[in-house]
Amino acid sequence: MSYLQDVFEYFDQLPLLIQIVWSVGFVLFQIILVLIIYLKILRTYLRRNEETVEKFQSEYEHLLINYLYTDSDSESSEQKEIINRLKVCVNNKFKRDIVVSILLKLRNEISGEMVDAIQKLYIDSGLVKYALIKLKSKNWYIVAKGIRELTQFKIKEAHDEVVIHLDHPKPEVSKEAQLYLISLFHFEELEYLKNVKSQLSEWDQIQLLEVLQKFDNQELPDITPLLMSENESVVSFALKLTKIYNLYDMKDELMILLTHESKEIRVQVIEILNHLYIIDAKSVLKTNFKNSSEDEQIAFINMLNNTFEVEDEPFLLENLHHTNFDIKLSVLKILKIINIDKFKSLKQKLTQPEFNQMIEFVENN
Amino acid sequence: MDSNTVKIIIEIIHYLFFIYAFGAVLSYIILSVISAVETISYMKKNSFVNYKEIMSSTISPSISIIAPAYNENLNIVENVRSLLSNHYVNYDVVIVNDGSKDDSLERLIKAYDLVKIDYLVNQKIQTKPLRAGVFKSTNPAFEKLIVVDKQNGGKADALNMGLNISKSKYVACIDVDCLLLEDSLQKLVKPFLEATDNKIIAAGGVIRIANSCIIKDGKLLDINFPKKIIEQAQILEYLRSFLLGRMAWSKLNGLLVISGAFGMFDKKVAIEVGGYDTNTVGEDMEIIVRMRRFMEEKKEKYRVAYIPDPLCWTEAPDSYKILISQRNRWTRGTIETLKKHKKLAFNPKYHNLGLLSYPYWLIFERFAPIFEVIGFIYFGILIALNQVKWDYTLAFFILAYLFAVLFTITAIFSEELTYHQYKKKGTGFKLILMSFLEPIVFHGFILYAAVKGNIDYFFNKKKKWGAMERKGLVKTESI
Repeated sequence: MSYLQDVFEYFDQLPLLIQIVWSVGFVLFQIILVLIIYLKILRTYLRRNEETVEKFQSEYEHLLINYLYTDSDSESSEQKEIINRLKVCVNNKFKRDIVVSILLKLRNEISGEMVDAIQKLYIDSGLVKYALIKLKSKNWYIVAKGIRELTQFKIKEAHDEVVIHLDHPKPEVSKEAQLYLISLFHFEELEYLKNVKSQLSEWDQIQLLEVLQKFDNQELPDITPLLMSENESVVSFALKLTKIYNLYDMKDELMILLTHESKEIRVQVIEILNHLYIIDAKSVLKTNFKNSSEDEQIAFINMLNNTFEVEDEPFLLENLHHTNFDIKLSVLKILKIINIDKFKSLKQKLTQPEFNQMIEFVENN
Repeated sequence: MDSNTVKIIIEIIHYLFFIYAFGAVLSYIILSVISAVETISYMKKNSFVNYKEIMSSTISPSISIIAPAYNENLNIVENVRSLLSNHYVNYDVVIVNDGSKDDSLERLIKAYDLVKIDYLVNQKIQTKPLRAGVFKSTNPAFEKLIVVDKQNGGKADALNMGLNISKSKYVACIDVDCLLLEDSLQKLVKPFLEATDNKIIAAGGVIRIANSCIIKDGKLLDINFPKKIIEQAQILEYLRSFLLGRMAWSKLNGLLVISGAFGMFDKKVAIEVGGYDTNTVGEDMEIIVRMRRFMEEKKEKYRVAYIPDPLCWTEAPDSYKILISQRNRWTRGTIETLKKHKKLAFNPKYHNLGLLSYPYWLIFERFAPIFEVIGFIYFGILIALNQVKWDYTLAFFILAYLFAVLFTITAIFSEELTYHQYKKKGTGFKLILMSFLEPIVFHGFILYAAVKGNIDYFFNKKKKWGAMERKGLVKTESI
């Protein structure tokens, strides 16, 4: 006791700054102690949690497989009992998450009627109710998770509840709502893109396109409004659709888009014109070549690589001394094919070192 | 000088030290808070992301993995196999054999059925010329592999050759001996693809230390906490740096460095700025600063992104000699980069880059070891003159020590709450124990290396990379 008193007396006589420093140090020490204890608890909890998850996973997986492989036309008593058990355990969030993850895993592993059985089980066990509750959450990420779950289990009935999130201020939520619509209602819901004000990122576009390509019915609606959209990202998305689905009918719209204000769109259009082999566009592109950006010029020369004709020779010769390496190389390659004599004569004329390697390379390949 | 003047000077010195230390502590606290907020936000955003579609999509953008190799014959075949086992669909692997004197190339030719191809390199960036040439595999299983054999020019030169060879939109520059996780490419390309209102010019993720981990067929099987103090201490260092520091700087759009071990770049911008600088030993930091400067001068909106996911595992030095050599190089790299881009310092024209990131690096990274050494010298003088106020000394020393420990424990916490990679029983205790020991037993070596880096920079200009012996990661036999 007297020792402690000595310490306090010593502390009292210290200058104020030192007193403050010791006090802060004492607080830090206490924080460290608390953190160490909490860290121990946290690590133990995480370890036990993993063990519990494993245990429940094994138990529920067994249960769900039993349900799915019970051979009966109507619902057997065993299946009813399984549903009742699930109904009880999904009241607990922890167990609910495990059941959902197993159902998703099984859904990815099996096909045919089993998929419908899983969907039925998802609804009958009451899990769908909890997913719908998530849509009303104040936390955006829970809403997004809810929509994702409804998409994965193909709950079309949630359409009205999901569609209101299309314009959600958080892009993650609106993206999930878009994916829901496209995944469950396919091309018929592409219309919503006409009114989308926010930009679709490349990430969103790739996901949407991947979902669309999985459908059996690949009949696309008219995408002209999307190609003519004021939203640049929607135009880009529509151009990707044009390419993937080889929409040759969109030729007129593509020609209009050659004058789009965005360079990226113009480059994308040239690439699609190339892909669709729309050679009518060549004359326009040749005329505009000098005033185009280098990216557009490269895209056009790539197009010429696939669509060259003897008539292209004057244009190629005109651009033989272009500053861009790829353009020069392509010009030489095409010239070699359409007029070998001309190419040989160029070999004599073009003695600059920059051409030596190129000509040798083109000659040998 | 009378005694009053001396007293005033000493007082000023004391205040300068105090302000510097207080500034450093305050900046760490602020960075920790920002980092926590950003990490939570990232975890929420990515808790329901489906990487599968991007991974398998043929319209996902192309990525080239560029891996320079110099005398890596021991592990090169296995390392390349690891790089080829990524799950992303649209990528290729460019191995640049930078004039190796060993049989790396022969081993690669044999293992991957390589044949020389006629390849015209567009020298967008000047590099040392090709030596044996460019090779591709005759085996369709290895169609993603390109091996380039060139004359030795150093790591930066080899990366530049990779930039010239790549046909992809994005390039991932990686150390060939790093173990890349299978989903790392889709995770790292995500920020580039998500951006709609600004351009992502580069992105980096968390690098982890693989010493003592079990690796099989290029895959990480078991994560172990190493036994050596030097390795354990580096794990804590990496946790602090990657989970607390870089995450916060990313949020502030002030990140100045993407680890040379693994980072992704927008190839067009990287080439426009002239590629990697071959005249610095800190080429990974320098290229980021130059790319940022370029974008600022072009007045284009941009970001350098960072994600907290562990993407890549690397071998850390397990001897003090190699560690000191590595940190010496890092110090010289920082000095060279900051000196080269001194125009940025406190320059409002460069926004956050000039007013926040650059000054921070200059004051709290570049000058930190110098301040520390001056502090020690000054303390020695005071002891010699019997002028030390021991009550002050003890109080401030303990405070600084406790803060260092607390900062490390916060990083451990961040790790446990996010990725919880060191799961084994007993590792938690070792991590805590090391957070108490590290400032005493490890920091001295780091300080020594930084001081040596400064001396070498000013008095030993010829010194370049220094040796980095690789022992290879712990592997089990492949079946």
